[in-house]
Amino acid sequence: MKKLLIILMFALLPLSLFAHSAMAAGDGPSKDMLKGIITEVNAAERTVVFEKDGTKEIVVLAMNEKMQLEDMKLNQKVLINLDKHAEAGNVMKDVSVMFMDMNASKLIALLVIGAVGGLLSGFIGSGGAFVMTPAMMSLGVPGAVAVASNMCHKFPKAMVGAYKRWKYGQADIKLGLVMASTAVIGVQIGIKIQKYVLAQFGGAGSNLYISAVFMVVLVFVGGYVFYDAWKLAKGGGKETVSKLALRMQKIQLAPMMHFKTAKVTISAWITIPVGLLTGMLAATIAVGGFIGVPGMIYVIGASAVVASATELIIAFVMGAWGSVQWGLSGLIDIRLALLLLATSLIGVQLGALGTTYVKDYIIKIVMATTMLIVAVSRGVKIPGYLIDLELMNPIQENTLALLEGISFWSLVAALGSAALIIIVAMVKGMTADSRSKKAVLGVSNG
Amino acid sequence: MMTTSFDKNMSAVAFAEAGEHDTARQILGENAAKQHGKSPAPAAKKKPYLKTIIFGTISLSAYYMLFTNEKLVTEIFTMGGWRWVYPVGAAFFFSFIHGAFASNLLSTLGLEAKK
Repeated sequence: MKKLLIILMFALLPLSLFAHSAMAAGDGPSKDMLKGIITEVNAAERTVVFEKDGTKEIVVLAMNEKMQLEDMKLNQKVLINLDKHAEAGNVMKDVSVMFMDMNASKLIALLVIGAVGGLLSGFIGSGGAFVMTPAMMSLGVPGAVAVASNMCHKFPKAMVGAYKRWKYGQADIKLGLVMASTAVIGVQIGIKIQKYVLAQFGGAGSNLYISAVFMVVLVFVGGYVFYDAWKLAKGGGKETVSKLALRMQKIQLAPMMHFKTAKVTISAWITIPVGLLTGMLAATIAVGGFIGVPGMIYVIGASAVVASATELIIAFVMGAWGSVQWGLSGLIDIRLALLLLATSLIGVQLGALGTTYVKDYIIKIVMATTMLIVAVSRGVKIPGYLIDLELMNPIQENTLALLEGISFWSLVAALGSAALIIIVAMVKGMTADSRSKKAVLGVSNG
Repeated sequence: MMTTSFDKNMSAVAFAEAGEHDTARQILGENAAKQHGKSPAPAAKKKPYLKTIIFGTISLSAYYMLFTNEKLVTEIFTMGGWRWVYPVGAAFFFSFIHGAFASNLLSTLGLEAKK
């Protein structure tokens, strides 16, 4: 425990410093976003007096023609997006209250999402993020706060999960830290690409790009993992190292690295691209693990159990680094992060201990199922974005609403089915284990 | 007495080395079962009821304190700059306290990793 903590702390320290310099360079939340309090509303001129958070600087902002006077909440912390394309400066595009009012149903929703997301995380190393951010947004949390709060809940969850799975002898700390350090660079590259796409093609273009990446990665990688798991299930579940990984391990290019828990010796030049891609994907679709885990299995040659456990270390380092960044701009709603943690810390430990009862290929099945259903959820959104970009003729509004519905419910289905497979496999494993223990006792007593 | 258990262990090792793992386990299992019968202390691991209650209480009171001071906490935690330490520190604190509670809770419920 001590050794693990010291290593993790050392990994975090340079990263937090890096985060400071990254923020200074202008990364993180958009510059067109203001945080502060509206102190006065001038109904006749349709302007508001706004006090910026931190600096207490007072500015006058104009409402755009679509905004309603009653949207201007006085004396509450709000997030304001400025209209970049407005001719006159300081025109608001939208205003959202930063801290939503908590009520019983929202509270229960957060606890349930936390529990299922945690279970999935503990079992396959990642998961939950793709549903937590949209779920929080649908509860009325502004997008940036949802992303920030999810980040802040992700790293403690990953830390607890990683610690548990390290205790079970499944997590390879060295591989995790090597991957994480390259993934952090990957995130920067991913953000740059995102910004470029946003600047070139606008919001709809960016959405289309994200969905397209989502679809391609999830369908191809998820499909392959599913095929592999199905083959393993038919062949009795004995996992072998992939041919690609064996070939990669033969490349003797210095520096060579040995990973004890993963039982792999491989050139650092092979782990770098896998780490970079994990980070880039994390910056694009918020779930780097969908590349990281299959990458560690099929390219580096770790087993599914070790790969999914090691992913938790990567998630911890990246989540902590991200939280520092979002914390610097003061966008974390700690209530949301801690409510998600209340159940996800139980879920993640349950998922982690579940891996000790199941065969390796079950992890692959859960991962592939989740990826493929999430792909559906993003896929059905593509027509909407294409229409926004005028690349497709408009379709009926109720068809679009139906597609939105399918998108949301497929996310729920992805989480639900993954949780179901994990619980069934775990209960089966536990029953078989206790039966074999009883049988041994029976033989020895009889 | 010592010789018997030593013999048993050695024969279990011999079987295990020969690839007869089940037989080896049976021999050791018989050993464990006999000791279990004689020993006054139960062989089954004691459930951590007390730890669950202690960590649960600390965690619950921390949650209570946070939500009764909601306005103050959200105000300070979102000021930005060096105050990133607050949300990140709180997340660390809760992960240790609440994580320990969750771990003990699962053990209390009899959910342990396969040995």
